Amino acid sequence: MLLKGQAGWYKDAIIYQVHVRSFSDSNGDGIGDFQGLAQRLDYVQELGVSAIWVMPFCPSPLRDDGYDISDYRSVHPSYGTLEDFKAFLLGAHDRGIRVIIEMVANHTSDQHPWFLESRASRDNPKRDWYVWSDTDTGYRGTRIIFLDTEMSNWAWDPISKSYYWHRFFSHQPDLNYDNPAVREEMWNVMKFWLELGVDGFRLDAVPYLIEREGTSCENLPETHEVIRELRKKVDDQFPGAMLLAEANQWPADLRPYFGNADEFHMAFHFPLMPRMFMGLRLEDRKPITEILQQTPEIPASCQWCLFLRNHDELTLEMVTDIERDYMYDLYARDKAMRLNLGIRRRLAPLLDNDRRRIELMNGMLMSLPGTPIIYYGDEIGMGDNVYLGDRHGVRTPMQWSGGWNGGFSTADPESLYSPPILNPVYGYQAVNVLSQKRSEHSLLSWMKHIIQIRRSSPVFGSGSIEFLYPANHRVLAYVRQLGKDTVLVVNNLSSAAQAVELDLRRYKGNILIEMFGRNVFPRIGDLPYLLTMGPYQFYWFRLRRI
Amino acid sequence: MREIIITELTQAFQDLLRGFAHYLPRLIVMLIIAFVGWMIAYLLKVLVHSILRLTKFSKLSENAGATQLLNQAALPSSTELLSRFVFWVAWVGFILLGVSVLGIVGLQEYISEFFLFLPRLFVALVILFFGLLAASFFSRAALLAAVNVNFRSSRLLSISIRIIISIFALSMVFEVLGVAKETMLITFGTVFGAVMLSLAIAFGIGGKDVAREFLEKKIVTGKKEEKEDELSPL
Amino acid sequence: MAEEMLLTDDFLRQLINVGEVDILVGLRTHNNADTIEPVIRAIQTGILQCFPRERVVIVNADGGSQDKTPELIVGASIDDVWSVSKVYALRTLHSISTRYATSPEPGTALRTILAAADLLHAKACVVFSPDSTTIEPDWLQRLVRPVYNDNFDLVSPIYRRQKFEGALIQNLLYPMTRAIYGYRVREPYASEFAISGRLASDFLNKESWNDESSRLGAEIHLTIAALTGTYRVCQSFLGPKARDRSAGDLVAAMRRTVGALFSSLDSDFPLWSTISGSQPVPTLGAQSEVVMEPARVNRKRLREMFATGVAQLEPVFRSILSESTLSELQRIATLEVSEFNYPADLWAKTVFEFAASYHKSVISRDHIVQALVPLYRGRTLTFLLENRDGSGEDIERNSESLCADFELLKPYLLEVWADRK
Repeated sequence: MLLKGQAGWYKDAIIYQVHVRSFSDSNGDGIGDFQGLAQRLDYVQELGVSAIWVMPFCPSPLRDDGYDISDYRSVHPSYGTLEDFKAFLLGAHDRGIRVIIEMVANHTSDQHPWFLESRASRDNPKRDWYVWSDTDTGYRGTRIIFLDTEMSNWAWDPISKSYYWHRFFSHQPDLNYDNPAVREEMWNVMKFWLELGVDGFRLDAVPYLIEREGTSCENLPETHEVIRELRKKVDDQFPGAMLLAEANQWPADLRPYFGNADEFHMAFHFPLMPRMFMGLRLEDRKPITEILQQTPEIPASCQWCLFLRNHDELTLEMVTDIERDYMYDLYARDKAMRLNLGIRRRLAPLLDNDRRRIELMNGMLMSLPGTPIIYYGDEIGMGDNVYLGDRHGVRTPMQWSGGWNGGFSTADPESLYSPPILNPVYGYQAVNVLSQKRSEHSLLSWMKHIIQIRRSSPVFGSGSIEFLYPANHRVLAYVRQLGKDTVLVVNNLSSAAQAVELDLRRYKGNILIEMFGRNVFPRIGDLPYLLTMGPYQFYWFRLRRI
Repeated sequence: MREIIITELTQAFQDLLRGFAHYLPRLIVMLIIAFVGWMIAYLLKVLVHSILRLTKFSKLSENAGATQLLNQAALPSSTELLSRFVFWVAWVGFILLGVSVLGIVGLQEYISEFFLFLPRLFVALVILFFGLLAASFFSRAALLAAVNVNFRSSRLLSISIRIIISIFALSMVFEVLGVAKETMLITFGTVFGAVMLSLAIAFGIGGKDVAREFLEKKIVTGKKEEKEDELSPL
Repeated sequence: MAEEMLLTDDFLRQLINVGEVDILVGLRTHNNADTIEPVIRAIQTGILQCFPRERVVIVNADGGSQDKTPELIVGASIDDVWSVSKVYALRTLHSISTRYATSPEPGTALRTILAAADLLHAKACVVFSPDSTTIEPDWLQRLVRPVYNDNFDLVSPIYRRQKFEGALIQNLLYPMTRAIYGYRVREPYASEFAISGRLASDFLNKESWNDESSRLGAEIHLTIAALTGTYRVCQSFLGPKARDRSAGDLVAAMRRTVGALFSSLDSDFPLWSTISGSQPVPTLGAQSEVVMEPARVNRKRLREMFATGVAQLEPVFRSILSESTLSELQRIATLEVSEFNYPADLWAKTVFEFAASYHKSVISRDHIVQALVPLYRGRTLTFLLENRDGSGEDIERNSESLCADFELLKPYLLEVWADRK
């Protein structure tokens, strides 16, 4: 059953992204599972998040960490059973935590029975479930997404002696959404999970659903038609369920995915994320304010999804060449850190394990307009291992304690699905949940606190935003407003102390109440409001007129 | 008779001796004052000489053109001259002071008038000096400026300015000294006014185009006229 | 003490908002609205193309413009450059302005810019002329890179000039600076140059700012400070030189340059008196370039002004020049244009005698500088006649020959300086 709640719950949500395999192993086989995840729900509840996004857990050859699905209606045996999933879902709902799961809609594994049938012969009924061609010249000019590994978007199938279309790995053939049967079946898959009680889907790789000659094969009107169809069915049959688009596009190109509030409820704001990192290094708010100025208005019921890091590389697709070079030079000098026009590092290593910068980035994540997503492990400052290949370095086992396998599993360390982080700085003996729980001043405790403050006011999720542009470009300042609730956010992006004068005459007469310490700051008058800020410091002020 | 004459002569001689004895102390005092005054005046001269040398007064005097004037008049240098002047003023002052001790009636008044006159004399000399300095400076400045704009009568302009300023300085000197005050003032006013009027008329009639160009350049910003034949020196 | 007066509260606030920078671009303006916009665009494009990651600020020191020059500078957004040059701005570029006076004082303007560079810890400070209509975006990196990357302290420009332009530099400033200080800096008085933060701070803290001549000719003093101190100096070729707007006022130009040069000789005597000969400074790009554009010059007027000067200023020259020099000049004054020749060695002697007289203040120092003007005109005439049909190489050769004369006659300067002649 869906967790009951008001419509638009996702606007005030804080989402925690987990990978079942990486979170907690309950049966000692070295691989995380749903029972383990269920056992850790108290932790997730204590963290204060309101939703969990579970990465793909369906049966899969796991050649792309589960994004190559071979059975949409089941659970990978390594992670447990469907019953285990249901138990987890129930446990989450009991704690008031919603569950969002992946819907890898664009493609399947080449081991999926549909594809096995489709490739069997040209006359097979499921032949048209995928995109086939006798040549590899179709849709010329379409960009290759996995540049480091793929040479073409076409792959040769020796069985049916023809080419099939794939926008990702060659073992992930694209489904043919021009085929109504495909659309019908994908809806049935979604319905299956909705009936179990999931609260929403993250639809993976949505821009690429439809192909057309002479186009970029991305963001086509027909794709939006498919989405509208799905959305209507969701709204009709499962009101309150949420659809989240994974579309790595410029803001203007993302806007259509909201439609007239008849497509996705939410979409990731991909272009903002690298610019937050850029602004921090440049010590200049320009990249951040510019991208948000270019971000179009979206329907009132829709919401952006913000994140700092996730299971993929920190994508630099939606930046200019000069920005990409800058990011590589500042954040990924070692070429081993670079992958597919991105940087495969976790949050803490990207920020040199600087607690102040980690707090500042999370502060911006929690206060900019959108629903924040916390990637598992970033709340304790986990590290990464860029030498594990692909994106595996950011998907290492969760570090629960300083003990055996970091508390992740009782299995032999050699049998873990992935080696844990071991170095003295980020290794599980140094960075783990247990030790951080014992300290009021740990990063984990701080994250809980900021989540609590964020949830104390709906202004962060649903409020408007107005940027202030103080003359000091190192300071990013904005006002969030929802009804009478007004919050002033001021962020010092610089590694040095800064003085900033803010023009707050519009709010003259209000006093500022700093939300973390609840201390009162002077009343706003006619003169510019002077604030002095330490390195990487930020303030959240609630404005109050008394 | 003879006895009367002898008595009278003796009396007269005694009177003379008495008078002499009466004035002798004063005479001695006067001489002492004069001698002391000489020493003080000499010390003052040395002091003034040193001060003027340290402050490079001779350079100032050279700039004023005074040095050249003094050289032409076969006079010593301005430093020496001033030092000597201080010496003589001081010593004469002491001498007069000594003379006043003699108690000669009528002389007191002249002596006090002399002392009252001294400050005015000093001021007059200062005015004359700086006047000559200014005349020299401004005339040279005018000469250079005129030559550099290819003004044909540069020398004439320079000399005119020197004369005008010198006359102005002289009339101030005479006014301070109180010598033919009104005459000098009227004369200066008349001459100066006449010169200025004639210049104004000449400029107004003959130089109105120049005046217009000059004003345009100074007041109207934005348009800079380049002289066709003027290459940029920098 | 004086530095506090330079920075008004408003300007200080602007500097606080800018914060630390890597490169500071200075513009000294007074009523330059007709030329400033292309200059700003070229600077912004140069920043984006060559220093996209660096923290840069444009500081305008304005001397009381009435034509909204400062507003044009501050209002020019770097994002506008995108539409023209397709170069993207990674950072905020600050453009700030201050009115340092109600009338132009180039020295005070420079000092304001140096004070800003000092406060903002700029690694490199580059000054451009607001009249530089020939400026290219590339000029920024040609001036700044030697400072920013190669640790030079002063980068002096080299221009491509019309062959008769810059006669004062070619005939006096360059040969004299070269002979006195022993370095071959072609543009010792430049309106465009780059300096390191270190030199900017040191120069800013010099006592000589209180001196009138130092303020007037701050550029020459800056060059001399770099040459006489422990600084690395180089030259960089830029391109065509735009015509100096103050070209018509030769007396003012002489005051700013020659006056400043002469005044520097007093304080630096212990150093320059021991230097003989000269050495080249590292040069990036061409050493010199001339263009053979024709120029209209009224040679008769030059000769006439020289002759008039020699005649009318004789009493003044008697205080300054030696008998032999004066009589030689009087002889030359009688020559017609076709035979006119003011030889290089006589010119060097003239300049040295003027320098010595300036040192001794035989008359007002400003009058000494003014008195040199008609003689300079005579030398200019000879310069024009000598090079009338000459190629670039010929001009360069003549220039070298003049410089050699200055260097050879340096002992003469020392003699007249010490009154031994």
